[in-house]
Amino acid sequence: MARDYDHLFKLLIIGDSGVGKSSLLLRFADNTFTGNYITTIGVDFKIKTINIDGLKVKLQIWDTAGQERFRTITSTYYRGTHGVIVVYDVTNGESFANVKRWLHEIDQHCDVVNRVLVGNKNDTPERKVVLTEDAQRFADTMNIQLFETSAKDNMYVEEMFLAITRLVLRSKKEMRERQNFTQGDTVNLRKGNKQGKKKNCC
Amino acid sequence: MPMCVLNLQRSYKYMMYATKQPSLRINQADLKCKNGCGFYGNADWNGYCSKCYRDHLGFEKQKKQGQAQLEKQKSNAFTKFEEKKKHQSDKKSKFLPLFRKPSNLKELEKPHRNSDLKHSNPDADKLMAEFMLTFGQLSESLRHDFFKYIQVFIKRIQTDINMNKPIEDVTEVAQKYYNTFNNGLNTSSTFKDLPSDVRDQLLDFFEKYVMTILFSSLFCPNSTNDEEKDLIIQERIRKLSWVNAHHLDCCISETSIEVRDLVYTAITDLLGMDSVKAPLDKLNCVVKCCRSVMEVLQHCQGGPASADEFLPALIFVVLKANPARLKSNILYVTRFCNDSRLMQGEAGYYFTNLCCAVSFIENLTAKSLNMAEEEFDAYMSGQITCVSAWESALVACEGMHQLRENLNILKDLSQRTTIVQEGSKMLREDIEKFKNELNETVSVVMERTPLVIKPRKSPISLNPHHEQSGGATDVSLRKHDFDQSEPENLNFYHQNLEIGHLNDYTKENLQLDITPCTLIAENASTISVEPTPEDHSHNSFGLSKINYDIDFSDFSGENSMVEDLTPERISLNVTPDPFGPLGTSSAIFQEPLVPLNTSLNVQEKTDSAKSKQQYVLPLVEKLETTLLDEDETDIQNLPSPMKPMSSYSGFSKQGLQIPSIPCNTGDISYLNAHSNASTSSKDDS
Repeated sequence: MARDYDHLFKLLIIGDSGVGKSSLLLRFADNTFTGNYITTIGVDFKIKTINIDGLKVKLQIWDTAGQERFRTITSTYYRGTHGVIVVYDVTNGESFANVKRWLHEIDQHCDVVNRVLVGNKNDTPERKVVLTEDAQRFADTMNIQLFETSAKDNMYVEEMFLAITRLVLRSKKEMRERQNFTQGDTVNLRKGNKQGKKKNCC
Repeated sequence: MPMCVLNLQRSYKYMMYATKQPSLRINQADLKCKNGCGFYGNADWNGYCSKCYRDHLGFEKQKKQGQAQLEKQKSNAFTKFEEKKKHQSDKKSKFLPLFRKPSNLKELEKPHRNSDLKHSNPDADKLMAEFMLTFGQLSESLRHDFFKYIQVFIKRIQTDINMNKPIEDVTEVAQKYYNTFNNGLNTSSTFKDLPSDVRDQLLDFFEKYVMTILFSSLFCPNSTNDEEKDLIIQERIRKLSWVNAHHLDCCISETSIEVRDLVYTAITDLLGMDSVKAPLDKLNCVVKCCRSVMEVLQHCQGGPASADEFLPALIFVVLKANPARLKSNILYVTRFCNDSRLMQGEAGYYFTNLCCAVSFIENLTAKSLNMAEEEFDAYMSGQITCVSAWESALVACEGMHQLRENLNILKDLSQRTTIVQEGSKMLREDIEKFKNELNETVSVVMERTPLVIKPRKSPISLNPHHEQSGGATDVSLRKHDFDQSEPENLNFYHQNLEIGHLNDYTKENLQLDITPCTLIAENASTISVEPTPEDHSHNSFGLSKINYDIDFSDFSGENSMVEDLTPERISLNVTPDPFGPLGTSSAIFQEPLVPLNTSLNVQEKTDSAKSKQQYVLPLVEKLETTLLDEDETDIQNLPSPMKPMSSYSGFSKQGLQIPSIPCNTGDISYLNAHSNASTSSKDDS
């Protein structure tokens, strides 16, 4: 198949409203990948192809509305998602407190999904209220990778997206291996079934 | 555009209601139960009465167990009306042809439904032509294979439908078949060699074609309560018509025309979703709509929009559009669009957003709009109604819309008026400042000039009276523009008059022009001096020198004696601009001589009282020419302190014309002129 990518992943950006989800996306998609929007007018649907370990990975990043009142209905976004980026605002303690709820939400809607935790707006130390240590401790307990980024100063944005892509790639590889393993089993089972059926028929 | 949306909405509404209204042209016998039990039958119950229909259903249930069970579950849950809706379209036609009238959209599509699908489907024909156009160059065997896939799929789905399988099963079959076809495309010998984009196109076309043909049986199928859901959401949205952009915290400015146009575009796109058949086309409508919404947001906030703003805006658009059969459409797309498309890509993203918007609307509470429970209830029950700009535009009330627009225009106008008023105030201050500056300059010059002029004056003086005031003549000449009450001016005018008196010829000229020139009485006084030096310089040498100072703006280079005074002259020339209209009326300048007398007298009396008025009027309505005419009579009596300057400039501009103006007419004595000036001018005007 002559496609221009080896993998196509769907990533979701979630987090409270105003934490800078869209600007992260804008920074990531605009900075290195010029003008390859699917739509030139909106930022919230962007596609970017990156190279990881010699593989071309096409990323589709879905922005979501973070307002409290939309929380219950956003489950539809999770369908077919490979990775989720949970964003909070390091200058806003409440957004960090809500991270737990967001993670819970993910667990409810997806079985296996790769996640990263992102503390955005990490560009003005004097306004920072969520300490790196606290965030790191929390991330460790949740077994999730933490990034402190700044979309404004373009700090660690790229790194973060690469990291989540790697996670997704890895889990996909694992899944395929597991599938191959189980497929062998099922083939056997089916054969057995068929034989059984035949016996019944006869 | 708005009208178009309106019409669409109306027609949809009409169709909605039409389904509820019973057709009246039915025979009594047709209404009876088919079983002949004597009760009235119902078309939706296959022409049976309710009891017989239930029995009939029970019989059928036994016949086809699986489907019948499903049927029963549903019918238990339904109310009578809903049941009617559900079966109406399908069974009506079988048993009571009289009901066949196309009272419903569904009925319009019915010809395809149970009839042979191979013919009479213009959409499919169109697609076919499109196919030949796009894939015409492909080999015969390939096309043959492709249509074999299609035929198989259609047959398969149709048998499933005819078996009344639950729609979920049909969906599964369809999705599986999409996968099969996709695999076939990628693996089979006929398709394998095609470039990937052609294969993608084939896949798309496959879905499109198949769905167009099967649309009537798969869209809003009888085995589901989709239609009922449509009605519920439609009713819900209608009840929520009061929700505006503000409630949703989205930044759509409802009154801006550009924004409204864009929103209308979005709404039209969304409404268009119902009119296309293939899920792909429906998705395209959603994408178009969402792009318009994005544009709206970009327009409203002047930058790229994020999902935090997009979703509320989309909800707003859905609320205002109230698309027909919204739920059916969404469910149809969800069921029969290739699954992978819905999970990925732009179409998938926007469709997901649309689903979110709809589910938000379904579950909307007071809390989600950030308002008090009571207020929300009041709105929902219709106790409070609010008329927004949006409402007035969408709800038939064109007049209301107009009113809103006009109110906006008025607001704009009032803002502009304030700006103009502020401007005029500033201008007034400027004038005041300028006046003061001028006064200062004048006083400075006053200190300077007497030294120069006095010695010159004294030898030529005609009587002692002149000598006293003459020293300050050219200074006062200017000064009188601003301080008319100053006695020196009077003296000066008298001087001039007396000079005129000396010469009979000039005197005649003066009297001649009394009436028209009163307007510029003062300016005339400055100008009046002018002809004297030119025509009769031999009579008044001393004065002629003074006059040079003032009047020679045009020929200033000629007179070296006046050079030290030039700065003043320049400033005088500059001032009149604010009073342009006055200065430009040349007719007035042409009779400059006489008014001295009248103006002087009147000025003294009324200047202080009227000067204010003179300032205000011309400022507020600067450019009104009518004002001139209106004021003419007043001004004749009460010349404004400022006017002389304007006319002065006028004079300087038209200095060449002046010599030809005054002479040869009238011979009222200079004394008469004094008293008659005001009255005669009034008569004339």
